[in-house]
Amino acid sequence: MLRIRNLKCYYGRIMAVKGVSLSVKKSQIITLIGANGSGKSTLLEAICGLLPGWEGEITFEGIPLKGFDPPAVVKHGISLVPEGRLIFPPISVLDNLKLGAYTMYRKRQHAAVKQTLEKILELFPILGQRAKQAAGTLSGGEQQMLAIGRALMSHPKLLLLDEPSMGLAPLIVEKIFRTLETLREEGITILLVEQNAQAALQIADYGYVFETGTVVLQGRASELLADQEVKRAYLGKDYGEFYDDK
Amino acid sequence: MMINDDFIRMNSEEKNQLQLERLQSTLNRAYRNVPFHKKRFKEMGIDLSQIENLSDIARLPFMERQNISENYPYNLFAVPLRDIVRIHTAPGTTHSPTVSGYTPQDLSNWQSILARALQASDVTAHDILQITLNPGLANWGRDYKNGAEAIEASVIPHTPMSIEKKLMVLRDYKPSVLITTPSSALQLANYVRKNEINTNAFGLKTLILIGEAIAIDDRRSLEQDLHVNAWTHYGLSEVPGPAIAFECDAHEGLHINEDHFLPEIIDPETGKALPEGRFGELVLTTLTTRAFPLIRFKTGDKARIINVPCPCGRTLCRIEWLGDRTDDLINIDGVKVHKKQIQLSIQSLLDLPSDAAKFLIKKRDEKKYIEVWIPVNDAIFSDEIKELEALIQNAEKNLLENIGIPVAIRLKEKSMI
Repeated sequence: MLRIRNLKCYYGRIMAVKGVSLSVKKSQIITLIGANGSGKSTLLEAICGLLPGWEGEITFEGIPLKGFDPPAVVKHGISLVPEGRLIFPPISVLDNLKLGAYTMYRKRQHAAVKQTLEKILELFPILGQRAKQAAGTLSGGEQQMLAIGRALMSHPKLLLLDEPSMGLAPLIVEKIFRTLETLREEGITILLVEQNAQAALQIADYGYVFETGTVVLQGRASELLADQEVKRAYLGKDYGEFYDDK
Repeated sequence: MMINDDFIRMNSEEKNQLQLERLQSTLNRAYRNVPFHKKRFKEMGIDLSQIENLSDIARLPFMERQNISENYPYNLFAVPLRDIVRIHTAPGTTHSPTVSGYTPQDLSNWQSILARALQASDVTAHDILQITLNPGLANWGRDYKNGAEAIEASVIPHTPMSIEKKLMVLRDYKPSVLITTPSSALQLANYVRKNEINTNAFGLKTLILIGEAIAIDDRRSLEQDLHVNAWTHYGLSEVPGPAIAFECDAHEGLHINEDHFLPEIIDPETGKALPEGRFGELVLTTLTTRAFPLIRFKTGDKARIINVPCPCGRTLCRIEWLGDRTDDLINIDGVKVHKKQIQLSIQSLLDLPSDAAKFLIKKRDEKKYIEVWIPVNDAIFSDEIKELEALIQNAEKNLLENIGIPVAIRLKEKSMI
């Protein structure tokens, strides 16, 4: 569904993503794990048209995304849930959600938007209860739900999530990740960037491990969960052995 | 065990993408974790982010058996030793043997590779497999056992046994599949023919031939004598293992497990890639191996790639492999040894110059052995025949123990060699 070949992204003269190839299959959760600064978020920005001057190929359902601006990417069915949520704090929860359907309002699909809104409030009932409240007054977990809900308003085929677990309590993370599984069951494809490798690999079908801008390992999520190297570096197990010499 | 095998029918675009992803991460891991690779890439000025297509691999240096021996024992491992769960030794090209290691993930990959190859030979959970190999191929025996167990077949694991014992097992236990080398199978068939043994008492239907290539006439006669269908598998006995390529029921070449290995065919002289369809040296790069990645490993085996669709529907490319070699490696009953290694051993055992020896492959009762002709010189010449004989016997025993292959030493006059 999404295919990336030899992606190279630059911040000035620094290459942050150094020739990455990966593929995302329909109705699967694919996770990118790796330490801070390994290039995962940069890759999402390149997909969404937020990062100029990348090299390589990104194709979505056979269409090259090169030169697309963010609205064009959204129109093609890709939505981003950005790192740190980036909701609009002063306006209401409901209006935040409606903003997610911006491209549909312009096409005068008001009825369709209303239907989607109902579905999202069904998925996250708490957002319905707080519909009139200013989004800035929500808890961290609720804000994350709002950010996901907003991204879903444009009917994406592919949902990109950047660190949805960041700063959230484990129980809330579990809840959010369960929602992602529900979305997969409904046929939405998910590309999940996470530092919380344990949680991400538990729900993902396939994973890629990033290290300083390159992919060093890929495989079925169950295999990565059992992998010694992944355990040492990302799952916090076996830490004492990490500095072991060969 | 569930065998997820979407790959064998993947279209070429998807296959190419998956191979590229795996190649890139293999190279990144090798660069980070193995000083040998890092040093060579750096010296050649290779920037791994420039490897953008499978064909770009041609920019990377080759790996040879010698490199493995030079990095004896663990210097080519790409994971810490504590992640290794199996260590395997094979004869090398110098005094040092080749040592390879496997992580649990590697072993599980091998299991699925073997299961795939066995399934292609119609082996199912209803089969009983007998594995009989030269002790030098014991590692392969374990891999076949694991693969067969993955498809829930019954296995009589590899145990060295006499031909009479083998026949007893065939007659009484009624294995339906026999996995062995062509040399051993021919030996068995000859014995059966000579002793007029009734093969109807066997339950054998499938013969899987590994370790050596087999001539088409020999294969036909084996099929007739033992009343079986024969299949061949191609593998490497030192690293990384068996069934890198396997035959399907079309029996027209061997499918390479392209999800785990990237094949190239090169001119062994120039190192350049040969046009598709030409015979040359098979070069392999591992795509999933964790512990012991091989990057452009020169196998020394001659092969050609058949890239026309196979009637069986598998999209894995095929090789034609006739058993010819591009180097001095000798294949005896599936175990490969380098002439140089035998020379070095003889040199140290008999105190001889290493260059003056001739190698012949001979057969005794259908069993292959290596005959080495050595020129007699003053150092070993003795008036006492007994002393000479003891010296030779000692050397032969030592070679069998160290290389795992029978070697006969013949002293000859210099002019004869």
